[in-house]
Amino acid sequence: MNKPIRIALTKGRLEKDTVALFEKIGYDCTAVHEKGRKLILPVPDGNIEVVLAKAADVITYVEHGVCDMGIVGKDTIMEMSGKFFELVDLGFGKCRFALAGKKGDSFYSGYDVKTIASKYPNVTRSFFESKGMDVEIVKIEGSVELAPLLGLSDAIVDIVETGSTLKENGLEVFEDIAPVSARLIVNMVSMKLFQKDIEALISLIEKNI
Amino acid sequence: MKRFDLITPEGTRDLLFDDCLIRKSVETKIHKIFESRGYSEVVTPGLEFYDVFNLNSRYFPQENLYKLTDNKGRLLVVRPDSTMPIARLVSTRLKDAELPLRLFYNQSVYSPNKSLAGKSNEVVQTGIELIGTYSRKADLDVLSTAIEVLSSCDNDKFRIEIGDIGFFRELVNQLPSDDEVKEKIRKLIEAKNYPALNDLLDSIGENKVTNALKQLPRLFGGEEVFDKASSLFCDEKIEEILSNLKFIYTSLEKLGYNGKITVDLGIVNRTDYYTGVIMKGYIQGYGEEVLSGGRYDKLISEFGYDVPATGFAVNVDAISEMLKNSGVKPERNKTDIIVFSDEKNAMDALIYAQKLRNEGYTVEYSPFDTIEETKYYAQTNGNIKIIVYRGEDNE
Repeated sequence: MNKPIRIALTKGRLEKDTVALFEKIGYDCTAVHEKGRKLILPVPDGNIEVVLAKAADVITYVEHGVCDMGIVGKDTIMEMSGKFFELVDLGFGKCRFALAGKKGDSFYSGYDVKTIASKYPNVTRSFFESKGMDVEIVKIEGSVELAPLLGLSDAIVDIVETGSTLKENGLEVFEDIAPVSARLIVNMVSMKLFQKDIEALISLIEKNI
Repeated sequence: MKRFDLITPEGTRDLLFDDCLIRKSVETKIHKIFESRGYSEVVTPGLEFYDVFNLNSRYFPQENLYKLTDNKGRLLVVRPDSTMPIARLVSTRLKDAELPLRLFYNQSVYSPNKSLAGKSNEVVQTGIELIGTYSRKADLDVLSTAIEVLSSCDNDKFRIEIGDIGFFRELVNQLPSDDEVKEKIRKLIEAKNYPALNDLLDSIGENKVTNALKQLPRLFGGEEVFDKASSLFCDEKIEEILSNLKFIYTSLEKLGYNGKITVDLGIVNRTDYYTGVIMKGYIQGYGEEVLSGGRYDKLISEFGYDVPATGFAVNVDAISEMLKNSGVKPERNKTDIIVFSDEKNAMDALIYAQKLRNEGYTVEYSPFDTIEETKYYAQTNGNIKIIVYRGEDNE
């Protein structure tokens, strides 16, 4: 038997969606359901090993080749960038990057440099770079919506799913930046060395999304 | 107050004992291969003028260079690559040399990586440049050298992948799009980002060219790739590129590395720099390519000397790391004898130690004042034999 393909899953919602996808393919994911505190879990009938990690770590593990594949949101890919193959749009975990701020503000007016709060400073920087606009970026770790409410920033760049959190806090989307969904990424060397196994798995996944 | 006197800068490290020995053995092995094929070593300076790397045919992003200025305020960079300096060298001091030139190098290159990503900013690369020939035989020669290098380091787990940058270039040039869109297409093919590539190409329109480009990232594997590629799209130029690459592929199979040589028509990195056949080498367990190279016929002309060239570079650190992880234990040189003497005979003892060395022993000269200290040192370092030197009639 070949070496199992090691897949890093982003803990949380993407993990659940992926496990559902695997079960639809017909894999027995008991070990993933009953994981306890284990972090590396076998999916024996698919010759797969599942690793559970935080989103940014999924990319790190795949880039270094210690995991052959990963499932991670486009939001994290855009923020981290890196060298890997981004093969499949899995279609779940859908949301979007948006620029938002206090309802009724006209963001682009005036000559003062705007301050933007975001968990995604790189996405924010490249968005405003493409507009040729100088902005001050403040990195916020938790609820970014607070920043404009407290007067720290003029706007935020964040992922928006339904927009209800924004609405409840008197904020609105000024502009959409990019759509986001879960992606299947593959290490560049693994893709070449285990081409048959990986292609077989990918075609199963593509059939079931 | 000094804060950074005990650590090395990010992305750099000290190499100790075994690491050095493994690296040296990798270098020696590879250099023997190069030398046996008629390559001669050159060394270029660690510092170069920024202009050497500020070229039309190869783009080094500012943020990926270590920069400093000399005492006249001119911008210098710490060498990020060895091929540009060699192109400079060839266009100047080797301008009148008989062609083809076969050069090899072994030196560190420097490039600041993303912080905290676990990557080295200083990497030892060794590689060859075969300069002055357009011949397909030269491509075969360089590729078989690359194969020999990787198989000598890792007999059963390596892979050499070949491609031709021309395939992508011919296709993309038939699109009506501007350069920015073409660059986007290139990036998406490089990342094998099928969904985004399809969306972008759909927006350009459906025709044979966009259909072929959509399939490009999937065109990798064995010999079947050539048939797939020619069924997708073919004009005279592409036909020529494919049949040339196929010839190279089937020729290399004669070397007997069944299944170790593969094709990927979707390798489209550095399109501005490479002009023909390109290659990448992989070893299982290392997440990036350990070897890369190809034909670059236009680069040297940017330094004023219009000659074609091809070559590749190997990441020596990566191969050393793989060997170490696979459990290779290098033989460390052991001390055979420690020579001890009292203060009075110190110089004579040194001369005596040298006599022993000339006989082929590895000899340490004891710096201790007493025989007890010397004995303790000898014992803790693997019971080294002690010779006490007492004067002329010693033994």
